[in-house]
Amino acid sequence: MSVRIHLSAHLREYADAPAQLEVAATSVRAALAELERNHARVYRSVCDETGALRRHVNLFVNRASVRDLAGQLDTPLRPGDELTLIQAVSGG
Amino acid sequence: MGERVVICIGTKKGLFVAEGSKKRKKFELRGPFGAGVAVYSALIDARGAPRLYASSCNAFFGMKVLRSTDLGKSFKETRAAPAFPQDDGRALANIWALEPGEGKKGLYAGVEPASLFHSADGGDSWELVPGISNHEHSRKWNPGNGGLCLHTIVRDGERMHLGISTGGHYLSEDGGQSFQASNQGVGAGFSPDPYPEFGQCVHKIARHPDAPGRLYMQNHGGWSEWTGEGGPRPDIGVLRSDDHGKSWRSISKGLPSDFGFPIAVHPQDPDTVYVMPLEPMTRTCPGGRPALWRSENGGDSWSRLTKGLPKKESFFTVLRDALDVDELASPALYFGTTTGQLWIGHDGGEEWECLFDSLPPISCVKVGTV
Repeated sequence: MSVRIHLSAHLREYADAPAQLEVAATSVRAALAELERNHARVYRSVCDETGALRRHVNLFVNRASVRDLAGQLDTPLRPGDELTLIQAVSGG
Repeated sequence: MGERVVICIGTKKGLFVAEGSKKRKKFELRGPFGAGVAVYSALIDARGAPRLYASSCNAFFGMKVLRSTDLGKSFKETRAAPAFPQDDGRALANIWALEPGEGKKGLYAGVEPASLFHSADGGDSWELVPGISNHEHSRKWNPGNGGLCLHTIVRDGERMHLGISTGGHYLSEDGGQSFQASNQGVGAGFSPDPYPEFGQCVHKIARHPDAPGRLYMQNHGGWSEWTGEGGPRPDIGVLRSDDHGKSWRSISKGLPSDFGFPIAVHPQDPDTVYVMPLEPMTRTCPGGRPALWRSENGGDSWSRLTKGLPKKESFFTVLRDALDVDELASPALYFGTTTGQLWIGHDGGEEWECLFDSLPPISCVKVGTV
Protein backbone atom coordinates (compact mmCIF):
# COMPACT_ATOMS: atom_id res chain seq x y z
CA MET A 1 0.00 0.00 0.00
CA SER A 2 1.44 3.34 -1.04
CA VAL A 3 1.09 6.51 1.05
CA ARG A 4 2.09 10.03 0.16
CA ILE A 5 4.38 12.08 2.42
CA HIS A 6 4.39 15.87 2.11
CA LEU A 7 7.56 17.70 3.12
CA SER A 8 7.71 21.31 4.30
CA ALA A 9 9.73 23.81 2.29
CA HIS A 10 12.39 24.02 5.01
CA LEU A 11 12.73 20.27 5.16
CA ARG A 12 12.92 19.98 1.38
CA GLU A 13 15.73 22.49 1.31
CA TYR A 14 17.60 20.98 4.26
CA ALA A 15 17.40 17.40 3.01
CA ASP A 16 17.59 18.22 -0.70
CA ALA A 17 14.31 16.37 -1.27
CA PRO A 18 11.18 16.81 -3.41
CA ALA A 19 7.87 18.20 -2.14
CA GLN A 20 6.24 14.77 -1.98
CA LEU A 21 7.45 11.22 -1.60
CA GLU A 22 5.56 7.97 -2.08
CA VAL A 23 6.39 5.06 0.20
CA ALA A 24 4.88 1.62 0.71
CA ALA A 25 3.81 1.30 4.35
CA THR A 26 0.95 0.11 6.54
CA SER A 27 1.95 2.10 9.64
CA VAL A 28 3.69 5.35 10.47
CA ARG A 29 6.68 3.44 11.79
CA ALA A 30 6.89 1.46 8.57
CA ALA A 31 6.72 4.70 6.58
CA LEU A 32 9.66 6.09 8.55
CA ALA A 33 11.55 2.84 7.98
CA GLU A 34 10.97 3.25 4.26
CA LEU A 35 12.35 6.77 4.50
CA GLU A 36 15.43 5.44 6.29
CA ARG A 37 15.97 2.85 3.53
CA ASN A 38 15.30 4.98 0.49
CA HIS A 39 15.50 8.63 1.56
CA ALA A 40 18.18 8.65 4.25
CA ARG A 41 18.70 12.41 4.35
CA VAL A 42 15.01 13.00 4.94
CA TYR A 43 14.96 10.33 7.61
CA ARG A 44 18.01 11.76 9.44
CA SER A 45 16.38 15.18 9.35
CA VAL A 46 13.18 14.05 11.05
CA CYS A 47 14.38 11.23 13.35
CA ASP A 48 17.39 11.17 15.66
CA GLU A 49 19.72 8.20 16.04
CA THR A 50 17.49 6.59 18.67
CA GLY A 51 14.69 6.38 16.10
CA ALA A 52 12.59 9.00 17.88
CA LEU A 53 10.91 11.80 15.98
CA ARG A 54 13.03 14.92 16.49
CA ARG A 55 11.70 17.19 19.20
CA HIS A 56 10.92 20.10 16.90
CA VAL A 57 9.49 18.08 14.03
CA ASN A 58 5.78 17.37 13.72
CA LEU A 59 4.38 14.43 11.81
CA PHE A 60 0.72 14.59 10.85
CA VAL A 61 -1.42 11.65 9.78
CA ASN A 62 -3.91 13.48 7.62
CA ARG A 63 -4.75 16.35 10.02
CA ALA A 64 -3.82 14.73 13.34
CA SER A 65 -0.43 15.00 14.99
CA VAL A 66 1.01 11.54 15.49
CA ARG A 67 1.89 12.57 19.06
CA ASP A 68 -1.85 12.91 19.76
CA LEU A 69 -2.80 9.55 18.31
CA ALA A 70 -3.21 6.53 20.56
CA GLY A 71 -0.92 4.40 18.46
CA GLN A 72 1.78 7.07 18.17
CA LEU A 73 4.35 5.79 15.67
CA ASP A 74 2.53 2.44 15.48
CA THR A 75 -0.60 4.12 14.15
CA PRO A 76 -1.86 2.03 11.21
CA LEU A 77 -2.23 3.65 7.82
CA ARG A 78 -5.11 3.09 5.42
CA PRO A 79 -5.26 3.54 1.66
CA GLY A 80 -5.43 7.24 0.85
CA ASP A 81 -3.86 8.43 4.13
CA GLU A 82 -1.37 11.24 3.75
CA LEU A 83 1.53 12.12 6.03
CA THR A 84 2.98 15.58 6.47
CA LEU A 85 6.39 16.35 7.94
CA ILE A 86 6.84 19.94 9.09
CA GLN A 87 9.01 21.73 11.60
CA ALA A 88 7.32 22.88 14.80
CA VAL A 89 6.72 26.60 15.16
CA SER A 90 9.38 27.22 17.76
CA GLY A 91 12.81 28.71 18.10
CA GLY A 92 13.83 32.26 17.26
CA MET B 1 53.46 30.58 6.76
CA GLY B 2 50.54 31.29 4.44
CA GLU B 3 49.80 34.46 2.54
CA ARG B 4 46.11 34.87 3.33
CA VAL B 5 44.40 35.31 6.67
CA VAL B 6 41.10 33.48 6.93
CA ILE B 7 38.61 33.93 9.76
CA CYS B 8 35.73 31.52 10.28
CA ILE B 9 32.94 33.23 12.21
CA GLY B 10 30.28 30.90 13.58
CA THR B 11 27.04 32.69 14.36
CA LYS B 12 23.51 31.95 15.42
CA LYS B 13 22.45 32.31 11.79
CA GLY B 14 25.20 30.50 9.94
CA LEU B 15 28.90 30.60 9.13
CA PHE B 16 30.67 33.63 7.73
CA VAL B 17 34.19 33.56 6.28
CA ALA B 18 36.39 36.65 6.19
CA GLU B 19 39.55 36.71 4.09
CA GLY B 20 42.30 39.30 3.92
CA SER B 21 46.00 39.79 3.34
CA LYS B 22 48.69 39.45 6.01
CA LYS B 23 48.45 43.22 6.55
CA ARG B 24 45.04 42.55 8.11
CA LYS B 25 43.68 45.96 7.15
CA LYS B 26 40.74 44.85 5.02
CA PHE B 27 38.74 41.66 5.05
CA GLU B 28 36.21 40.45 2.51
CA LEU B 29 33.19 38.76 4.09
CA ARG B 30 31.42 35.75 2.59
CA GLY B 31 28.33 33.92 3.79
CA PRO B 32 26.24 33.00 5.55
CA PHE B 33 26.78 29.32 4.81
CA GLY B 34 24.27 26.96 6.36
CA ALA B 35 22.10 30.07 6.48
CA GLY B 36 19.79 30.37 9.45
CA VAL B 37 21.45 27.51 11.34
CA ALA B 38 23.66 27.95 14.41
CA VAL B 39 27.39 27.26 14.05
CA TYR B 40 29.19 26.51 17.32
CA SER B 41 32.44 25.13 15.96
CA ALA B 42 34.77 25.62 13.03
CA LEU B 43 38.20 24.45 11.98
CA ILE B 44 40.73 25.86 9.54
CA ASP B 45 42.70 22.77 8.60
CA ALA B 46 46.02 23.68 7.00
CA ARG B 47 47.36 20.12 6.79
CA GLY B 48 47.93 19.68 3.05
CA ALA B 49 45.46 21.53 0.83
CA PRO B 50 43.54 23.88 3.14
CA ARG B 51 40.08 22.76 4.20
CA LEU B 52 37.55 24.61 6.28
CA TYR B 53 35.06 22.76 8.45
CA ALA B 54 32.06 23.97 10.40
CA SER B 55 29.29 22.34 12.35
CA SER B 56 25.75 23.25 11.34
CA CYS B 57 23.28 22.16 13.94
CA ASN B 58 19.71 22.72 12.90
CA ALA B 59 17.39 22.83 15.91
CA PHE B 60 14.67 21.20 13.82
CA PHE B 61 16.39 18.78 11.51
CA GLY B 62 19.65 17.78 13.18
CA MET B 63 23.35 17.96 12.50
CA LYS B 64 25.60 18.50 9.53
CA VAL B 65 29.33 18.96 9.14
CA LEU B 66 30.15 21.42 6.36
CA ARG B 67 33.43 21.30 4.45
CA SER B 68 35.03 23.76 2.05
CA THR B 69 38.00 23.08 -0.23
CA ASP B 70 38.06 26.59 -1.77
CA LEU B 71 38.83 28.70 1.30
CA GLY B 72 35.22 29.23 2.19
CA LYS B 73 33.85 30.31 -1.15
CA SER B 74 31.49 27.31 -1.02
CA PHE B 75 30.67 24.54 1.44
CA LYS B 76 29.31 21.04 1.00
CA GLU B 77 27.93 18.67 3.59
CA THR B 78 30.24 15.77 4.47
CA ARG B 79 28.82 12.29 3.90
CA ALA B 80 27.91 11.91 7.56
CA ALA B 81 27.75 13.79 10.82
CA PRO B 82 28.60 12.27 14.20
CA ALA B 83 25.76 10.12 15.55
CA PHE B 84 25.46 7.82 18.55
CA PRO B 85 24.97 4.11 17.93
CA GLN B 86 21.25 3.35 17.73
CA ASP B 87 21.26 1.29 20.94
CA ASP B 88 23.14 3.94 22.92
CA GLY B 89 20.04 5.88 23.91
CA ARG B 90 21.65 9.29 23.46
CA ALA B 91 20.94 11.61 20.56
CA LEU B 92 23.27 14.32 19.30
CA ALA B 93 22.17 17.83 20.20
CA ASN B 94 25.10 19.94 19.00
CA ILE B 95 28.72 19.89 17.85
CA TRP B 96 30.89 22.12 20.03
CA ALA B 97 34.42 21.40 18.85
CA LEU B 98 36.19 20.36 15.65
CA GLU B 99 39.92 19.67 15.93
CA PRO B 100 42.57 17.97 13.79
CA GLY B 101 43.42 14.35 14.53
CA GLU B 102 46.19 12.14 13.22
CA GLY B 103 47.64 12.28 9.71
CA LYS B 104 46.14 14.59 7.12
CA LYS B 105 42.50 13.59 7.45
CA GLY B 106 41.97 12.68 11.08
CA LEU B 107 39.38 14.81 12.87
CA TYR B 108 37.83 14.93 16.32
CA ALA B 109 34.43 16.33 17.19
CA GLY B 110 33.33 17.22 20.70
CA VAL B 111 29.57 17.10 21.02
CA GLU B 112 26.53 17.57 23.22
CA PRO B 113 25.64 15.44 25.14
CA ALA B 114 29.28 15.36 26.19
CA SER B 115 31.03 12.79 24.01
CA LEU B 116 33.89 12.55 21.56
CA PHE B 117 33.79 11.32 17.98
CA HIS B 118 36.68 10.53 15.63
CA SER B 119 36.82 10.61 11.85
CA ALA B 120 39.69 9.05 9.89
CA ASP B 121 38.51 10.37 6.52
CA GLY B 122 38.08 14.11 6.88
CA GLY B 123 34.56 14.01 8.27
CA ASP B 124 32.85 11.58 5.90
CA SER B 125 32.40 8.95 8.61
CA TRP B 126 32.54 9.13 12.39
CA GLU B 127 33.04 6.72 15.27
CA LEU B 128 32.30 7.23 18.94
CA VAL B 129 35.42 7.37 21.14
CA PRO B 130 34.28 5.12 23.96
CA GLY B 131 37.06 5.89 26.46
CA ILE B 132 35.47 9.22 27.29
CA SER B 133 31.98 8.92 25.80
CA ASN B 134 31.20 5.82 27.85
CA HIS B 135 33.37 6.78 30.82
CA GLU B 136 32.02 5.58 34.15
CA HIS B 137 31.48 9.24 35.09
CA SER B 138 29.63 10.17 31.90
CA ARG B 139 26.11 9.50 33.14
CA LYS B 140 26.84 11.59 36.25
CA TRP B 141 27.86 14.75 34.39
CA ASN B 142 25.31 17.54 34.41
CA PRO B 143 24.53 20.18 31.81
CA GLY B 144 25.77 23.71 32.33
CA ASN B 145 23.87 26.72 31.07
CA GLY B 146 24.93 25.95 27.51
CA GLY B 147 24.12 22.26 27.72
CA LEU B 148 26.21 19.21 28.59
CA CYS B 149 29.01 19.67 26.12
CA LEU B 150 32.50 18.44 25.35
CA HIS B 151 33.85 21.70 24.01
CA THR B 152 37.64 21.52 24.21
CA ILE B 153 40.04 19.03 22.63
CA VAL B 154 43.75 19.71 23.15
CA ARG B 155 46.18 17.15 21.73
CA ASP B 156 49.80 16.81 22.80
CA GLY B 157 51.33 13.68 21.32
CA GLU B 158 49.77 10.70 23.07
CA ARG B 159 48.15 13.04 25.58
CA MET B 160 44.69 14.38 25.02
CA HIS B 161 43.04 16.97 27.24
CA LEU B 162 39.27 17.37 27.14
CA GLY B 163 37.15 20.13 28.65
CA ILE B 164 33.59 19.21 29.59
CA SER B 165 30.92 21.50 30.95
CA THR B 166 30.04 20.31 33.43
CA GLY B 167 32.34 17.34 33.79
CA GLY B 168 35.72 18.95 34.25
CA HIS B 169 39.11 18.21 32.75
CA TYR B 170 39.81 14.69 31.51
CA LEU B 171 43.24 13.48 30.50
CA SER B 172 44.29 10.62 28.27
CA GLU B 173 47.92 9.53 28.12
CA ASP B 174 47.39 6.70 25.67
CA GLY B 175 46.19 8.52 22.58
CA GLY B 176 42.55 8.70 23.60
CA GLN B 177 42.01 5.06 24.53
CA SER B 178 41.31 5.78 28.18
CA PHE B 179 40.68 8.92 30.21
CA GLN B 180 40.99 9.94 33.84
CA ALA B 181 39.38 12.92 35.55
CA SER B 182 42.29 15.25 36.31
CA ASN B 183 40.97 18.13 38.35
CA GLN B 184 43.28 18.57 41.34
CA GLY B 185 43.06 22.28 42.14
CA VAL B 186 40.11 22.88 39.80
CA GLY B 187 37.29 24.30 41.91
CA ALA B 188 33.54 24.08 41.50
CA GLY B 189 31.36 26.86 42.89
CA PHE B 190 28.06 25.11 42.50
CA SER B 191 28.67 22.00 44.60
CA PRO B 192 29.03 21.64 48.37
CA ASP B 193 32.47 20.11 47.81
CA PRO B 194 34.68 22.95 46.51
CA TYR B 195 37.11 20.52 44.88
CA PRO B 196 35.23 17.44 43.64
CA GLU B 197 36.91 14.66 41.68
CA PHE B 198 34.90 15.67 38.62
CA GLY B 199 31.90 17.78 37.69
CA GLN B 200 33.64 21.15 37.33
CA CYS B 201 32.40 23.61 34.75
CA VAL B 202 35.57 24.02 32.71
CA HIS B 203 35.12 26.75 30.10
CA LYS B 204 38.29 26.48 27.97
CA ILE B 205 41.82 25.04 28.03
CA ALA B 206 44.82 26.25 26.02
CA ARG B 207 48.45 25.22 25.64
CA HIS B 208 51.60 26.21 23.77
CA PRO B 209 53.80 23.58 22.13
CA ASP B 210 57.00 25.24 23.37
CA ALA B 211 56.05 24.83 27.03
CA PRO B 212 55.74 21.09 27.61
CA GLY B 213 53.42 20.28 30.45
CA ARG B 214 51.99 23.77 30.81
CA LEU B 215 48.29 24.38 30.32
CA TYR B 216 46.03 27.34 30.99
CA MET B 217 42.38 27.00 31.94
CA GLN B 218 39.42 29.35 32.14
CA ASN B 219 37.17 27.66 34.64
CA HIS B 220 33.76 28.79 35.88
CA GLY B 221 34.78 31.37 38.47
CA GLY B 222 32.81 34.09 40.20
CA TRP B 223 32.34 32.37 43.55
CA SER B 224 34.46 34.55 45.82
CA GLU B 225 31.44 35.88 47.71
CA TRP B 226 29.58 32.61 48.08
CA THR B 227 28.34 32.22 51.68
CA GLY B 228 26.58 28.89 51.37
CA GLU B 229 27.78 25.43 52.20
CA GLY B 230 31.47 24.94 51.56
CA GLY B 231 32.21 28.65 51.90
CA PRO B 232 33.67 31.13 49.39
CA ARG B 233 35.84 29.89 46.55
CA PRO B 234 37.95 32.84 45.45
CA ASP B 235 40.16 32.59 42.44
CA ILE B 236 38.99 29.27 41.04
CA GLY B 237 38.38 30.78 37.62
CA VAL B 238 41.75 31.21 35.90
CA LEU B 239 44.21 28.38 36.40
CA ARG B 240 47.55 27.03 35.26
CA SER B 241 49.09 23.57 35.25
CA ASP B 242 52.77 22.76 34.90
CA ASP B 243 52.49 18.99 35.05
CA HIS B 244 50.43 18.11 31.99
CA GLY B 245 47.15 18.87 33.72
CA LYS B 246 47.67 16.63 36.73
CA SER B 247 47.30 19.59 39.10
CA TRP B 248 46.22 23.19 38.73
CA ARG B 249 46.80 26.47 40.59
CA SER B 250 45.15 29.87 40.46
CA ILE B 251 46.62 32.67 38.35
CA SER B 252 43.64 35.00 38.65
CA LYS B 253 45.19 37.52 41.05
CA GLY B 254 45.01 40.98 39.51
CA LEU B 255 42.01 40.33 37.27
CA PRO B 256 38.77 42.26 37.81
CA SER B 257 36.81 38.99 37.73
CA ASP B 258 37.87 35.37 37.55
CA PHE B 259 34.77 34.57 35.48
CA GLY B 260 35.09 34.35 31.72
CA PHE B 261 34.80 31.94 28.86
CA PRO B 262 37.78 31.95 26.46
CA ILE B 263 41.51 31.73 27.10
CA ALA B 264 44.24 31.96 24.46
CA VAL B 265 48.04 31.79 24.32
CA HIS B 266 50.37 33.96 22.25
CA PRO B 267 51.61 31.90 19.26
CA GLN B 268 55.29 32.68 19.87
CA ASP B 269 55.43 33.12 23.64
CA PRO B 270 54.05 30.51 26.03
CA ASP B 271 54.24 33.02 28.90
CA THR B 272 51.76 35.38 27.24
CA VAL B 273 48.15 34.45 27.85
CA TYR B 274 44.88 36.30 27.25
CA VAL B 275 41.50 36.21 29.02
CA MET B 276 38.29 38.23 28.77
CA PRO B 277 36.95 38.73 32.32
CA LEU B 278 33.18 39.06 32.64
CA GLU B 279 30.79 39.89 35.46
CA PRO B 280 29.82 36.49 36.86
CA MET B 281 26.14 37.33 37.32
CA THR B 282 25.45 39.00 33.99
CA ARG B 283 28.33 37.45 32.02
CA THR B 284 28.98 40.80 30.40
CA CYS B 285 31.91 43.24 30.38
CA PRO B 286 32.61 44.59 33.89
CA GLY B 287 31.12 48.08 34.19
CA GLY B 288 30.18 48.05 30.53
CA ARG B 289 33.86 48.68 29.67
CA PRO B 290 35.20 45.77 27.62
CA ALA B 291 38.84 44.82 27.94
CA LEU B 292 41.04 41.92 27.04
CA TRP B 293 43.54 41.14 29.79
CA ARG B 294 47.05 39.94 29.06
CA SER B 295 49.67 38.33 31.21
CA GLU B 296 53.24 38.23 29.90
CA ASN B 297 54.60 36.16 32.75
CA GLY B 298 52.44 33.09 32.75
CA GLY B 299 49.73 34.56 34.93
CA ASP B 300 51.79 36.20 37.70
CA SER B 301 50.40 39.63 36.76
CA TRP B 302 47.91 41.05 34.29
CA SER B 303 47.47 44.20 32.22
CA ARG B 304 44.37 45.62 30.58
CA LEU B 305 44.19 46.05 26.79
CA THR B 306 41.52 48.56 25.78
CA LYS B 307 42.81 50.95 23.12
CA GLY B 308 40.12 51.23 20.47
CA LEU B 309 37.49 49.28 22.41
CA PRO B 310 34.33 51.04 23.66
CA LYS B 311 34.92 52.99 26.87
CA LYS B 312 31.39 52.59 28.22
CA GLU B 313 27.89 51.17 27.69
CA SER B 314 29.04 47.89 26.17
CA PHE B 315 27.52 44.86 27.82
CA PHE B 316 28.34 42.06 25.45
CA THR B 317 29.55 38.53 26.12
CA VAL B 318 32.48 36.76 24.47
CA LEU B 319 31.78 33.03 24.42
CA ARG B 320 34.28 30.22 24.97
CA ASP B 321 35.29 29.74 21.34
CA ALA B 322 34.94 33.34 20.25
CA LEU B 323 38.57 34.40 20.87
CA ASP B 324 41.51 33.40 18.70
CA VAL B 325 44.94 34.65 17.74
CA ASP B 326 46.72 34.37 14.39
CA GLU B 327 50.24 33.02 13.99
CA LEU B 328 51.91 35.91 12.16
CA ALA B 329 55.09 37.56 13.44
CA SER B 330 53.14 40.35 15.11
CA PRO B 331 50.01 38.39 15.90
CA ALA B 332 46.55 39.86 15.97
CA LEU B 333 43.79 38.71 18.29
CA TYR B 334 40.20 38.36 17.18
CA PHE B 335 37.06 38.14 19.28
CA GLY B 336 33.40 37.98 18.42
CA THR B 337 30.57 39.18 20.63
CA THR B 338 27.06 38.06 21.33
CA THR B 339 26.03 41.42 19.90
CA GLY B 340 27.46 40.45 16.51
CA GLN B 341 30.68 42.44 16.44
CA LEU B 342 34.00 41.02 15.28
CA TRP B 343 36.99 42.85 16.73
CA ILE B 344 40.66 42.62 15.73
CA GLY B 345 43.43 43.49 18.19
CA HIS B 346 46.54 44.46 16.22
CA ASP B 347 50.04 44.00 17.67
CA GLY B 348 49.01 41.38 20.18
CA GLY B 349 45.92 43.27 21.30
CA GLU B 350 47.55 46.70 21.72
CA GLU B 351 45.08 48.41 19.38
CA TRP B 352 41.56 47.28 18.61
CA GLU B 353 39.37 47.82 15.58
CA CYS B 354 35.86 46.60 14.83
CA LEU B 355 35.99 44.63 11.57
CA PHE B 356 32.29 43.80 11.32
CA ASP B 357 29.65 45.56 13.38
CA SER B 358 26.35 43.85 12.73
CA LEU B 359 26.67 40.12 12.29
CA PRO B 360 24.31 37.72 14.06
CA PRO B 361 25.33 36.72 17.62
CA ILE B 362 28.78 35.13 17.41
CA SER B 363 29.57 31.74 18.98
CA CYS B 364 32.98 30.95 17.58
CA VAL B 365 35.92 32.63 15.87
CA LYS B 366 38.76 30.63 14.30
CA VAL B 367 41.62 32.23 12.42
CA GLY B 368 44.29 30.69 10.20
CA THR B 369 46.90 31.67 7.66
CA VAL B 370 46.75 29.68 4.44
